[in-house]
Amino acid sequence: MTAEPAKLDVSLQEHEEKQEWWWIAEKKRSKRLDYLRKAVWKKGALGGNYAPGIKVDLEGPKLFTDMWKWWKFDPIIMRRAKALAHVFDNIPIFITDHSQLVGYWGSAPHTISWRVDGASIVNEELYNEPGIMPEPEEESLRKVAEINDYWAGQTAVDKVARILDPEDAVKFLSGAIGWGAPTSAYGYSGKNYEYYLKGERGFEDIIADIEDHIAEAEEKTIGVPGPDILHIYDRIQNWEAMILVLEAAIRFAKRYARLARTMAEHLETDEKRKEELLRIAETCERVPAKAPRNLQESFQMDLLIQTMSRFEASEGAWPARPDYYHGPFYEKDVLQDKSLTEEEATDLIGEFMIRAYEVGGFGPRWAREGMQGITGTWVWTIGGVKPDGSDACNALTTAFLRTARLIRVSNPTFAFRWHPKVSDEVMRECFECIRHGLGYPSFRNDPILVANCMNWHGHPVEEARTWVHQACMSPCPTTKNGVQPFRMASATANCAKMVEYALHNGYDHVVGMQMGPQTGDARTFTDFEQLFDAWTQQMQWLLSLLVRTVNLGRYKDPEFYGRPFLSGITERAVERGIDAVSPEGERGNCWITAFTWVENADSLAAVKKLVFDDKKYTMDQLITALETNWDGYEQMRLDFVNKAPKWGNDDDYVDDIMLRCLRTMAKHSKVMRCTSNNTWPAAPQNVSGNIHYSSVVGALPNGRRLGDALYDGGISPGPGLDKKGPTAVLKSCGKIDHVADGRAFLLNQRLSPTQMAGEKGYQLWRAYMRTWADLGLDHIQFNMVSDKTLRAAQKDPEKYQEVIVRVAGYSAHFVDISRKTQDNIIQRTIQGI
Amino acid sequence: MKCPECSYEAPVPEFRYLYNVRIDAPLTLRQCPQCQAWLSVDELAGESTGKVEAGDAPWGKSAGIERDLEEAV
Ligand SMILES: [Zn+2]
Repeated sequence: MTAEPAKLDVSLQEHEEKQEWWWIAEKKRSKRLDYLRKAVWKKGALGGNYAPGIKVDLEGPKLFTDMWKWWKFDPIIMRRAKALAHVFDNIPIFITDHSQLVGYWGSAPHTISWRVDGASIVNEELYNEPGIMPEPEEESLRKVAEINDYWAGQTAVDKVARILDPEDAVKFLSGAIGWGAPTSAYGYSGKNYEYYLKGERGFEDIIADIEDHIAEAEEKTIGVPGPDILHIYDRIQNWEAMILVLEAAIRFAKRYARLARTMAEHLETDEKRKEELLRIAETCERVPAKAPRNLQESFQMDLLIQTMSRFEASEGAWPARPDYYHGPFYEKDVLQDKSLTEEEATDLIGEFMIRAYEVGGFGPRWAREGMQGITGTWVWTIGGVKPDGSDACNALTTAFLRTARLIRVSNPTFAFRWHPKVSDEVMRECFECIRHGLGYPSFRNDPILVANCMNWHGHPVEEARTWVHQACMSPCPTTKNGVQPFRMASATANCAKMVEYALHNGYDHVVGMQMGPQTGDARTFTDFEQLFDAWTQQMQWLLSLLVRTVNLGRYKDPEFYGRPFLSGITERAVERGIDAVSPEGERGNCWITAFTWVENADSLAAVKKLVFDDKKYTMDQLITALETNWDGYEQMRLDFVNKAPKWGNDDDYVDDIMLRCLRTMAKHSKVMRCTSNNTWPAAPQNVSGNIHYSSVVGALPNGRRLGDALYDGGISPGPGLDKKGPTAVLKSCGKIDHVADGRAFLLNQRLSPTQMAGEKGYQLWRAYMRTWADLGLDHIQFNMVSDKTLRAAQKDPEKYQEVIVRVAGYSAHFVDISRKTQDNIIQRTIQGI
Repeated sequence: MKCPECSYEAPVPEFRYLYNVRIDAPLTLRQCPQCQAWLSVDELAGESTGKVEAGDAPWGKSAGIERDLEEAV
């Protein structure tokens, strides 16, 4: 298939006037990209449910379980390696028509993968999930039941849950204060790109290195007896497991090569496609065994590694820096050698994004609700600086931005590392993406975040400058000692509970149990300091509990789970013979995701103002109103909303409370320590946890009822409460020290498509962005879709399948998210700038 | 409160509370326990202001420039 664009008919200008960007994309992209984009199955849950036709993959789980059972006497890491290798060697593979990149996390394009050894509770949920069993359903259910029976009690979560403190375990599992699981079976895997994606090294090179390490170690195990050689036996096992999996990974790629070659030689009649299939074959014979030599090989290596990592663990994020690592190949192929035309390269770039969009695994309901419309947070980092501080933007940076507008996928999205040397050309490309309603790239303030990395975790500056988004927001270097190999998601705090528990003596009226410490009956509080003291204690208790689960998970993970493949691509593990998740030699780069944060400041300010300063209401009245979910207290509720200062209006009354909360939390972040004895800063942001927790967080003094969505951003003002305009929002947010007060702070802003039209719109936006940078904010992202379009999409979803919105740290197709989330997005203030 | 769809009558809290996307407005969404219709409810008046269908905007336009521009006209 050629790279020429599909035929144009209805005027593009007409679509542009109506802001129907999806039609423009369809008309401008090549026939190949059009086919690939439309042929892809949507794996993200719609609201909370999978799309019709999506089935769980039972091939991989069966292969894995069979071989796991077979090697029951092996050391656990070898057992895992052999089971994984068996999947690589036997799972059915396929090549999509017209595609040039291969590799999928499942046996067929419509399947979602299933991590059988992660958590029994997830396995049970999968058994009960309607509509996802392959036909014949009865037989599939029998297979699932058999697999579930086998794994019950011996999954990673079962193992760690048994040794958690029982009280911590019950409170954590209540679902009220956090989510995620303290295991590397699910979560966010950092990638040591500096080790394996610089075009310098293939798996054969890594294997050769490991063999040297083993030979050296074995010299010691036949040497002088003593305690200092005992740990080496375990290390040799780890190394052997790495080799076993890396070799299987090479074979996995070669299976694709063989399939492509067979198709080319025996099945394909079209000469052009035959050539493409042979190129796929050559590519997969080359990578990942050897270092890539061109753009296609570089993309293919990256994609295969991401795919294979997911066969090992259900990785919920896709940290990447594609322009930086693939850029040199783009420049060589397209600009220097001219072995690829720009259009041919666009096809590869577009497909690289589509192959990532295609990836999906089964997630429990809380995860589906918390990340509506997507299957994980594939936030790809672009732009930024090189380790020497010079501009890292290259020709591939703009090529990715241009291609994103043609492909219009909601996952991956881009986050752009802005710095003062970024060219106007690149900024215009970024702006075009936002103007086209993609909601991305989001903007990250690079100098601030590099300083933040150095401040919280002590990364040397050259290391800090390699950072990528490990999930939605938090920066993670890609270096040997700087990379966090695995971020377990259970350090995700439902922070609105801090103020809720401070008001209810630590008791949770929603789940009906004593959760936090008993910090006193709030009805008897006589001044604000008593309330703030209770809040502080609840905050410390809540964060400490969650952090304990992760620390324990990290400590026990090599024994309970183990990641031989991830270890094989992580320099620190290869060098030392440890499992990658083991903290040995890791600098430590932890963070707490702080969901539902801003409610704390707005609630505390409202109590201070109306109860303690103005004395308009008593604590007793307030607690009674909250206990009835404000039913029958509407006027009082409106007073708490409208007669108390709200965050985001440049009002020091509430902004000072926000800063005090953040700084009290930051102090505790330094008291808590990770497995590398480093700090635990918080990153306020919500994914779509603000919707998930709407039925978990009780009524609050900021005026919300149980059931209402929480505020959408990490530091975004409440929808409609930012009444003083965009500069006031930036000024409030600019009072936060984005280096020292926490890890990262998510700010959502909505802009008017009408106001942002044309060159004038761009210039207005640039001026606004200069203010943003000057005030030292670390993050901002934009929605630029009108109320009218969004309401029309609610009314007639079929017609508006391709409308994309920025939800929180990610984007989603508007029609895939729940009505409540949709309404929440529509009611965000559209700022005129 | 009376349901404008099926005329079912009961105190407001008996209509299942759904949500309010504009915390600064007294307008909420509740569901009629008899006919299951989604209703917009004026919590101050204790009355339903009507049935809410997909794409309806009981809160009106979102705050900010577009609303300001409209009001200025
Ligand atoms: Zn009714």
